Amino acid sequence: MPSPVATISASGNAALRVSSALEDREAGWRLVHHLARFIDDAQVPGVECVIPTYDAALIEIDPVESSLERMRSYLESVIARLDSDRPLTETPRLFEVPVLYDLDGELDLRMVAEAQGLSTADIVRLHSEPSYVVRCLGAPGGSPMLDGPAFPLPVPRLSSPRASVPQGVVSVAGRQATITPAAAPGGWALIGRTPLVVLDLDAEPFVPYEPGDLIRFRPIARDEYVSLLGTRMVAS
Amino acid sequence: MSAGFLTVVEAGSAQITDLGRSRGPRYGVPVGGALDQRSARIANILAGNDDRAPLLEIMALDAEFIADSDILIALAGTAATLRVGGIERPNEQPVSVRAGETIEVRQITGGLRAYLAVAGSFDVPRLLGSCAPDSVLGFGGRLLAGQRIPLTRATPPILNTNFGAELYRLNVPARPDTTTVEATDGPDIADFADTARRLYEEPYVVSPTSNHIGLRMTGILPERRVQGEVLSRGVPVGAVEVPPGNELLVLHRGRGVTAGYPVLAVVTTTALDVLAQARPGQTLRFRRVSEAQATERARAERAALDALRLRVRSVFTALDALPTSSGRTLS
Repeated sequence: MPSPVATISASGNAALRVSSALEDREAGWRLVHHLARFIDDAQVPGVECVIPTYDAALIEIDPVESSLERMRSYLESVIARLDSDRPLTETPRLFEVPVLYDLDGELDLRMVAEAQGLSTADIVRLHSEPSYVVRCLGAPGGSPMLDGPAFPLPVPRLSSPRASVPQGVVSVAGRQATITPAAAPGGWALIGRTPLVVLDLDAEPFVPYEPGDLIRFRPIARDEYVSLLGTRMVAS
Repeated sequence: MSAGFLTVVEAGSAQITDLGRSRGPRYGVPVGGALDQRSARIANILAGNDDRAPLLEIMALDAEFIADSDILIALAGTAATLRVGGIERPNEQPVSVRAGETIEVRQITGGLRAYLAVAGSFDVPRLLGSCAPDSVLGFGGRLLAGQRIPLTRATPPILNTNFGAELYRLNVPARPDTTTVEATDGPDIADFADTARRLYEEPYVVSPTSNHIGLRMTGILPERRVQGEVLSRGVPVGAVEVPPGNELLVLHRGRGVTAGYPVLAVVTTTALDVLAQARPGQTLRFRRVSEAQATERARAERAALDALRLRVRSVFTALDALPTSSGRTLS
């Protein structure tokens, strides 16, 4: 029986994809994250992992311990009981992230500005104005996936991705923005760098924010960047 | 109290791993772990360990180790020559090693990966419950010559005092077919219209750029017929994608957890072990199966391993009751 608020499709013999069928994107995002938290808390036998993103959640199972049919009907019953209007977090935490933009032109800030027909100062202002909701944690290493700044145009991905993007880099692509907690290859446009340390491998989760928390970027000068270098990222 | 160390003499391309970090994908970290899960389980079962115990994944290149206490080891995975103290010993059997004897794993052929388990396993750091390396987080990594891996316990030799050989012979379930990759239709197969069937009709050749993140393959590719951006979402291990370029991409356990490409098909859990052993240049064919068939196969394989585990336990229990050269017990 199809659920009226979500569609559930097999994604191989060990995973189900739950996609929101709600008109309201915000409600769909809340739905898949409420679902992920419910399953995490319930510690359902046979569930390996849940990966909630924007409008979908992937539920990975051990096909020997569980079965797709059993998991599908279980998910339908859980989804029917979830309230997608309930906020994800009652009191979202705010993380203020100081950013040194551009670093003497070695990043992509100028290229992004030119493509948008704006000055680099406009880009910095647009990027540091809003409070961003952390939508989900993505690759690499628990990056906070944010809805992009209000640029006039989507930001194109680099034609050839960088082999290594250093940790702490602040980047934009399409209509999305993020911070890179760990060095990894990447094709997004880099516009700045935070001196904060995001990862704490002794903690779970090993990033300080969760979906539903807020992030705001604050432009800083080089001397403040240097003085804050290595400080841990914490909620304000 | 330390039970001694396994010292790396020749590192080759080996690493300490386990069955993976199942709590990782929740936080944007790939599950990782042994690429050939079945062989890793077999090695641990033969060593009397829990299936999830840390063990060594030895890829393609020769490796050599030496222990400073008596241990029991088992080698599984692709064909390889195991030598203990210079003498050839069987694969897929528990093998006793005396303190100071060299353990050589050489001539890895056929596939790419062999798994070496030590009874009692290793005392190594974990991240989110797993010792599997994650290069992005900078956790774990390739072994280096001279590195000392802490052992959790020694195992005195199980020897027939008359013949100096082991007293048992365990039959390990035969390896599956290594050229056919079973897959189920993916949730986005409709995006490829009638070109989707090419996946099951055409042969594909494994590219040298393949690794634990994914295998790249050349051949006649299915084509995406629907345009438009897909929001990033969780992609399963085994997802078959057709990214821009001229190669098919099959994601494996090191895959980025989220992506925005449509999923054409998904390689089954048992066929992922076949891919783990596929060498660059090898030709593979995909075979379409239903989710139910794939699950049936996964359960049959696991049942065979459960039966092996019972046999290993009964052998170890029987040996415990035997007088041996050192009058030892196993447990």
